[in-house]
Amino acid sequence: MAEHVLVLVTAVEPGGPLRDADGEALGAAQSLARERGCEVACALIGGGVAPAATEAAERGAGLILTAGAPGLAAFDGGRCVTIAAEAVGRAGARVVLIPRGPDVLELAPRLAARLDGASVVGATEVRAAGDDVVAVAAVFGGAARAEYAFRAPGPRVIGLAPAVAEVPERRPGRAAPTVALAIPEADGRVTTIEAAPDVSGPRLEDAKLVVAGGRGLQDGENFALIRELAQALGGMPGASRAIVDDGWASFEQQVGLTGKIVTPDVYFAVGISGASQHMAGCANARCIVAVNTDPEAPIFTFADYGIVDDALDVLPALVRLARERGA
Amino acid sequence: MPAVDASGGGLRIVVCAKQVLDPDGVNSFAFWGRLKVGGDGRSFDTGGMVPRIINAYDEQAVEAALRIRDAGVACRITVVTVGDEAAGAILKRCVAMGADDAVQIVDDAAGLGDGFRTARLLAGLIAELGDVDLVLCGRQGSDYDQGTVPAVLAERLGAALVTMSAGVAVEGDDEGRALRVVRVTPRGEEVVRAALPAVVSISNEIGTPRYPSSRRMMQARRQRPERREASDYESAPGAVGVEVTRLIVPDVQGHCRIIEGGSAAEKAERLMRRLDDRGLLGG
Ligand SMILES: Cc1cc2nc3c(=O)[nH]c(=O)nc-3n(C[C@H](O)[C@H](O)[C@H](O)COP(=O)(O)OP(=O)(O)OC[C@H]3O[C@@H](n4cnc5c(N)ncnc54)[C@H](O)[C@@H]3O)c2cc1C
Ligand SMILES: Nc1ncnc2c1ncn2[C@@H]1O[C@H](COP(=O)(O)O)[C@@H](O)[C@H]1O
Repeated sequence: MAEHVLVLVTAVEPGGPLRDADGEALGAAQSLARERGCEVACALIGGGVAPAATEAAERGAGLILTAGAPGLAAFDGGRCVTIAAEAVGRAGARVVLIPRGPDVLELAPRLAARLDGASVVGATEVRAAGDDVVAVAAVFGGAARAEYAFRAPGPRVIGLAPAVAEVPERRPGRAAPTVALAIPEADGRVTTIEAAPDVSGPRLEDAKLVVAGGRGLQDGENFALIRELAQALGGMPGASRAIVDDGWASFEQQVGLTGKIVTPDVYFAVGISGASQHMAGCANARCIVAVNTDPEAPIFTFADYGIVDDALDVLPALVRLARERGA
Repeated sequence: MPAVDASGGGLRIVVCAKQVLDPDGVNSFAFWGRLKVGGDGRSFDTGGMVPRIINAYDEQAVEAALRIRDAGVACRITVVTVGDEAAGAILKRCVAMGADDAVQIVDDAAGLGDGFRTARLLAGLIAELGDVDLVLCGRQGSDYDQGTVPAVLAERLGAALVTMSAGVAVEGDDEGRALRVVRVTPRGEEVVRAALPAVVSISNEIGTPRYPSSRRMMQARRQRPERREASDYESAPGAVGVEVTRLIVPDVQGHCRIIEGGSAAEKAERLMRRLDDRGLLGG
């Protein structure tokens, strides 16, 4: 098999399209493939992958590998790694790109370990370096970046950060050879006994406006002000990890390196100091507004607009104005 | 005192813990523009001003192990670390928290950022300890934020893997045991059952780790961790997976416009007007 740069997409929803992150990975793969003088392959593992497969071909993948079965809509590490390993072989892949998502933390290193390769996740940049590739990823939550060289004999498995590349344009009717991958039985070693809640409401990741609160709120009860402002502005509430740990907000509301990555038009950071691990989740907002009593707080280095004042005085005023505006 | 079961009937738990530069210290160095890269190009030079501490998730992994014991399961808990000579310092705290014993693998290549190498060394040690039922790790090192080691360990040990755990309980008896693990996912919590042997990585949602009493701290100070050399498990001297070749500290230039005003309400009003003028509030 001639070499392909492989994009590995898991947990495709039954009949669902490619996600933005998947498209970006195809874009990143295309530039690498050009440099390596080869083509892009796309492996799709999920509940029902036909529409996503068509789209991947239309967005430039020259080889499609599919594993569609109802049980694969949710990520199952043991099975996915086995399927992915076959995909790597079929695509003759030396470089495997995995779109961002909750599964990559398990999938990337396991796949690499299985094939005697190596992995880097959260890559903000992947570039050719002679015959090989180099990946760049944030360290200490973004306080600095590291450049990684690969030393293992096997494939280079790279999990991507948001916005590493443009989504390639879609050319309707473009097709590619498709290979069905073998689907192994679940090994039964890890089984779900209580599924995560099936939340179908709006997602923080998609919100156009986020109002996030931190320890500067002084007390858990004041998180209500964050919720009120978010609601009045048609946005969603978010939180720093500090107040999630304190139980003032729920884990689903956490923004940051180990929480959600949000990309709203406006991000309000209220009583949040601006630690790199928090900024990792909101730095891509179009506009950041900071409210903090400390004029030296790091958040003001990242913010577009700042108010140096007490959150508990500013928030009620903002809520009132937002409500007047909405009325 | 819950018994250390030497007869082999108890659960054998290994907790993997890593020493890292205090991330809060790194943050404030970065903020004050004092974060510098050292002469080797791939580590920070903080002039010894940022302490090296136990990776916070790993302290929580020790806590997860101790809660299994608290729940009445007889177990032996061994804490292991890979790192340079100084890295062994974190083990004392783990023993003071309640771990039974500790082993350090001394490895001078630990600064290369190669989780694959670390996992190989740990897998070698775990195989040598024998009959390990459960390996607990942190979800990621707060240095490189990669989370490589638990996944690679599971592959190398042929064990089940559960990541992002907020709680681990042991079900069943000596005849047949399994884990019940609460996981945090972006949609909320889920519960899985995992067969043993297993590797489980612990996330911060598990809660605050216990504080060792000063008596236990004194006792732990006298206990010496067992010591192994990296060459006991791995013949290659350097990186085997990935290697950090360069660190880059970004130059963050602020561009914030401070909204002035006589009162909080006035500032709020001016802010809203600005956002509206830029069409950022929709509608
Ligand atoms: C590996 C790792 C992963 C992490 N992941 C995340 C993550 O995903 N998300 C995250 O958020 N954090 C994360 N953190 C934690 C992060 O480093 C910070 O500790 C955390 O973001 C701080 O939260 P905070 O800003 O609410 O609290 P603090 O840092 O305590 O800041 C509170 C701020 O409120 C201000 N303030 C005080 N009183 C008032 C008032 N009355 N009005 C207005 N302002 C006031 C203060 O000046 C201060 O700036 C992570 C850390 C590590 C090590
Ligand atoms: N040098 C090390 N010694 C012991 N355990 C480690 C080491 N490096 C990583 N680990 C374990 O693996 C987890 C994930 O770390 P990492 O793969 O470095 O992100 C950590 O939380 C530890 O539990």
